[in-house]
Amino acid sequence: MSQRSTAVRLPRRSPVDGLRRRRLSFAEVLAQSVSALAPTAAMVVVPSIVLVEAGAGTLPAFVAATALVLLIGWCLTQFGRRMAAVGGTYSYTAKGLGPVGALVGGWALLVGYATVAMAALVGAALYLAGLLGLEPTPPVVALLGGAVGLLATAFAVRGIRLSARVALVLEVVSVALVVAVLGALLVLAPRTPGSAAPVVDAPLHWGGLAVGTVLGVTAFMGFESAAVLGVEARRPLVAVPRAVLWTPAVAGVLVFGAAVAQVVLLRAAPIDVLTSPVPVAELADRNGLVPLRRLLDLGIAASFFACVTGSTNALGRVLFSMAREEVLPRTLGRTHRRFDTPHRALAAVLPAVVGVPVLALALGARPRGVLVGALTVSAAGYVVAYVLACLAVPLFLRRIGELTPLPLAGGLVAGAAGLAVLTAAVAGAARGDGAVTAAVTVAALAPGVAWALWLRWRAPERLRSVGVYDQATVSSVLPGTVPAEPPR
Amino acid sequence: MTPAIDRGLTGRQPKAVQSALAILETVARVGAGVTAKEVAEELGLPPATTYRLLNLLVGEEYLVRLPDLHGFALGRKAARLTGATGAAPVCTAAREVVADLRGRVRCGVHLVLCTPSTLHCADVDPDHPLQAPELVERHLHASAPGKLLLAEQDDWQDVLGPTRLHRLTDRTVVRPADLDGELGETRRRGWAVQGGQVHADLSCAAVPVRSPAGALVAALVFTVRGVDPAAPAAHAVPAADFARRLGPLLG
Repeated sequence: MSQRSTAVRLPRRSPVDGLRRRRLSFAEVLAQSVSALAPTAAMVVVPSIVLVEAGAGTLPAFVAATALVLLIGWCLTQFGRRMAAVGGTYSYTAKGLGPVGALVGGWALLVGYATVAMAALVGAALYLAGLLGLEPTPPVVALLGGAVGLLATAFAVRGIRLSARVALVLEVVSVALVVAVLGALLVLAPRTPGSAAPVVDAPLHWGGLAVGTVLGVTAFMGFESAAVLGVEARRPLVAVPRAVLWTPAVAGVLVFGAAVAQVVLLRAAPIDVLTSPVPVAELADRNGLVPLRRLLDLGIAASFFACVTGSTNALGRVLFSMAREEVLPRTLGRTHRRFDTPHRALAAVLPAVVGVPVLALALGARPRGVLVGALTVSAAGYVVAYVLACLAVPLFLRRIGELTPLPLAGGLVAGAAGLAVLTAAVAGAARGDGAVTAAVTVAALAPGVAWALWLRWRAPERLRSVGVYDQATVSSVLPGTVPAEPPR
Repeated sequence: MTPAIDRGLTGRQPKAVQSALAILETVARVGAGVTAKEVAEELGLPPATTYRLLNLLVGEEYLVRLPDLHGFALGRKAARLTGATGAAPVCTAAREVVADLRGRVRCGVHLVLCTPSTLHCADVDPDHPLQAPELVERHLHASAPGKLLLAEQDDWQDVLGPTRLHRLTDRTVVRPADLDGELGETRRRGWAVQGGQVHADLSCAAVPVRSPAGALVAALVFTVRGVDPAAPAAHAVPAADFARRLGPLLG
């Protein structure tokens, strides 16, 4: 091969410039993923829900869920090692499935981040109300939720670094609190089976295991959100994939441990504890550990608050990416002069994240209903985004000529398993009392498809630059090796 | 933290290091735009291994993926492998321009050559020698030509780790945020200045010398006794003409 006469030209500026470049350490990148996942809430809430459905299949269901999420994470690292994105899985999907697939996935991702932020907002407000000794009536929750939303947005606008550090501290403290509470309860727990034992030890069957796995997967949603920090992370092609793999691994261990503890605790508990909204808190109350319960509430509130900031950060950056591609109005792609954050996209997020739950509460919905409903919709949004990104892996690698058997198999298996989870969840919802939630989910996700097709039909030129990422510029290569693009 | 256990190079690691170096060499030889498949074929390496090593080298920023995502080029960091030792001697014509400038001002005038990440004090004023050229070259955050070089970067932390902001005098900037501010000011102004940040009783200004293509190739540095940066700064604007004359000679 001789010296090639390439026509390669590099731009002088990255299409996603304006964000503060290369400042976040690995711990701060990890904090973004961990906070969006909200491990405390997952540890306390999810195991008991799985227990009711899966019985003795609970622990295998968590192992299966962790394995599936790790596989999805591995697929995402195929992109993460090759491109530093700001739009997360949306930008990844664009490189494999093209603009229409990307917009469908991108919309689903937006729905996922937005609704999980809403759920966490209501959750934080609920637990704060509990801490302050207030009755969690809809107006109280709405007021506290508004305050939480404002504070979280202020952190996000001030800088990803501040919000990541706050989130990391909150998560470490709250996980430690949960571990302490579970430990104390294990010491105090009676060794005799209670009336919940038949449910906890219900024989393992495939249906229960499947539903349990689906519910288990919801504990991990948001684990990939470090993928929006492609510009801001130091050594992004190393740090982002690592965070996307470590987060589900660490969360998997934590949630599994919490599940083991809860199996032991709830086996000895009366049945009405198992069916209460937060069985761990209920147990603490009944054991006379009221201060412990307060601590637990504080931990959960902190974790929910961190989740609001994490999801808002991610949501703002996906919108920022879309605005830079001119799929959305260009003004959302502006960054703050001093803080170098996508402040307009973040500010645009606030009314939706605060407004929708407040409206639902004003219309008479129960706070806990809003929390669970929003979580369900968000899980569906995330899974759609993940499935599309996993299916994009083989196409992407083939396009750049780097396809090998392992990623091909990984992408297909993860995509198919994700689809199966989605189908099982929808079928389960339609069969049970979740018809309203299922309808809301479909109503939330359908506009994405319509939007993508409409743009394809009426304004295909706006789809041209879908998939922008922090690409190489003249200053990133060895000086003199690649010429610059002529200025436009 | 547990101390790292040194097991030396084991198993297939030596082979992996050799392959990684061969890949760097291939990208350098074939040129920007070479694809992963071409690298694998050229070296006779298994594709999966090649892709993995390429991703590692891209992650460490010795290689860069071009915007189409399938071509590769050498990254900026590859320049560090050659260091500053390759700096060519300054030509006579350029020395004459500097000597001409020295005849017109009453302060130290030095020519400092710049690579993308290093400085080299190439022509030091014989009448007002620099007290310690190595301090200027090493402490980029404190010296005026160093600030000029850092202001040229997208992110100065690529060149100078934030833990390397050593305090040389009471006035040295040691907080990354303060340095950010100074570099922003330098970019706006077009030249750099510092007062008493390297030596307590010296201030200096650095005016960029740019190649015809616009790359920073050198700096004209003025040193004046005292800590008031206004004194050397007074020389900066008139020196722009000399910098323009030097550009084609050095770039």
